[in-house]
Amino acid sequence: MLVVRDLVKKYGDFLAVDHLNMEVERGQIFGFIGPNGAGKTTTMKIIATLLAPTSGQVVVDGIDVFKEPIKAREKIGYMPDFFGVYDNLKVMEYLNFYGSAYGIEYHKRRRIAEELLELVDLSDKRDAYVDTLSRGMKQRLCLARCLIHNPELLILDEPASGMDPRARAEIKAILKELKRMGKTILISSHILPEMAEICDNVGIIDRGKLVVQGSVEQIMQRMTGRTAVRIRVLRDMDRAISLLKEQPMVTGVIEEDQELEVACRGGDEDLWQLLRTLVSSDVPVVSFRKMEGNLEQIFMEVTSDEEVVL
Amino acid sequence: MKRWFYNPVLASSLKTRMRGWRTAAAVTAYLGVMLFIAYVFFKISFANEVMHYLSVSANRSVGLRVYMLLAVLQFALILLVTPAQTAGVISSEREMQTLDLLLCTKMSPFSIIIGKLLSSLAFILLLVISSIPLFSLVFLFGGIAPEDVAMLFLFYIITAFAVGSIGIFYSALFKRTVVSTVVSYVTIFFLGIVSIILGVYMMSLHYSQLPRPSDYYVPFVFYINPTIGLSDLLYRQAGVTAPNPYYGILALLFGVGWSSGSPQGWFQRLPLWVANSIVMSGIAVLLLCASAWIIKPYKRFRRRS
Ligand SMILES: Nc1ncnc2c1ncn2[C@@H]1O[C@H](COP(=O)(O)OP(=O)(O)OP(=O)(O)O)[C@@H](O)[C@H]1O
Ligand SMILES: [Mg+2]
Repeated sequence: MLVVRDLVKKYGDFLAVDHLNMEVERGQIFGFIGPNGAGKTTTMKIIATLLAPTSGQVVVDGIDVFKEPIKAREKIGYMPDFFGVYDNLKVMEYLNFYGSAYGIEYHKRRRIAEELLELVDLSDKRDAYVDTLSRGMKQRLCLARCLIHNPELLILDEPASGMDPRARAEIKAILKELKRMGKTILISSHILPEMAEICDNVGIIDRGKLVVQGSVEQIMQRMTGRTAVRIRVLRDMDRAISLLKEQPMVTGVIEEDQELEVACRGGDEDLWQLLRTLVSSDVPVVSFRKMEGNLEQIFMEVTSDEEVVL
Repeated sequence: MKRWFYNPVLASSLKTRMRGWRTAAAVTAYLGVMLFIAYVFFKISFANEVMHYLSVSANRSVGLRVYMLLAVLQFALILLVTPAQTAGVISSEREMQTLDLLLCTKMSPFSIIIGKLLSSLAFILLLVISSIPLFSLVFLFGGIAPEDVAMLFLFYIITAFAVGSIGIFYSALFKRTVVSTVVSYVTIFFLGIVSIILGVYMMSLHYSQLPRPSDYYVPFVFYINPTIGLSDLLYRQAGVTAPNPYYGILALLFGVGWSSGSPQGWFQRLPLWVANSIVMSGIAVLLLCASAWIIKPYKRFRRRS
């Protein structure tokens, strides 16, 4: 659905995007993760035909974005990381306006707008002024806006930034619904654990380079070949720690508010061995939890100054 | 066919701008003020005139003067308000990132620019058009014909269009609204005032050559100065034969007289205000095209990779 080849963007001498390659398949949610200034927004703007790259190629559904931008725009729905709204405009008029800018005929766009408001759960706000909406509502409205021309690829730049957990959960639910409808979604964020939950694949970008890309589990394994486990014991914390440190597969133990975070090599088989050792040594284990998609940790490692050897 | 005239940006902003009581209140207040000024001026002049001449022509001359006063006031309003209305249009869109959202749609950069220009001129044009009945009152006194008012309003619209294009151009060129507003006003100041002094200076240079030339010479800056156009138009309508009040400044400042040479070629033979309108419209169109080019994501001469 989306193929990016050797994308380069220079601002003067500064290399904002450095030979970036990536691929997103139809119907996938792709998480685009990186620290501030990594080049996420720049890349997304280039894909959305809003910025000319220095070199490289972007293909959306078989259409070369730079050769046929007008055709490509029909396939792409773009939501910027920051956006203002016109005051004095009502929710329904807002959608109606963008619908007309996409050249959709009046009755059709009214109908689509109603459906979209339903989707983002804003139907009861249809006659409210846009600037009176809460931040979360505005964000959902903006999501509805980029769906107005029924694009196949959605490019969402930090759609969950600055929102409370509840609002984020709502956005996530909408994204899942969109995925069910067959949309391909490219979403950027630095809120990592959430990305692991909804994304099929992630790519980590740092200083303009895509450092790793793949499914969350794949990246975990390829990166360090190790898993993190959280263990809670009833008592004997010190004995548990010393016992854990003796195990060959354990590479590190951190004590963190009554819980132990244990980094270990190997797969599930080794985890089971670890648990068995603890239990058979009479350590009162009350909880033993494998950390799914601990992207936070990977993220820190990847974007630290040391080179990561894959 | 209908799509040709339909501009989503314009349609949407007309709907929201004209909503509520604000616009109606502004129009009413404006007309009220203009009417009041006209009335006071009329009272004063009429009293004086009647004393002096006690003749029918007093009527005519007072009507003419009220007309001129209103015409100049309204023109000043256009020059002063239009930059404020247009100079922030594109830059604020860019600040809000809504410009990106528009560029993502099917609208071309040029139609976005035109939509933005027309919707920001809508308010001032509404004020101007709503003042037509006020100007028509002058018909009662004679001396001014409906065609005169029509020409005046045509000139108003062209001026608003030209000044608006300057504002739009700067707001596309500069990132910040403050900068573009300031530069717009500086430009208007240059066009309206500095250009007169410059033009007069150019004339004095021209006519001080030896041997003394006797050709018809209009410095190019006079063609881009809307106030020259207006004064030419009003003087013609009043039937004053002197070429232009600004040439009086010429005599005052530099002691150079107006040349008696006759105009050469079709362009010089046009009334000055018409030539002025043509040049201003041409520049406006160029500025609008340039603005569209500036906001366009892919420039034509992009380096090939
Ligand atoms: N118009 C510009 N001119 C010069 N440099 C720019 C411009 N836009 C972005 N940059 C630089 O390019 C780099 C990448 O910026 P970008 O906005 O893509 O980062 P990002 O990953 O989106 O960061 P964030 O998480 O803060 O949104 C930054 O170092 C930024 O300073
Ligand atoms: Mg960003």
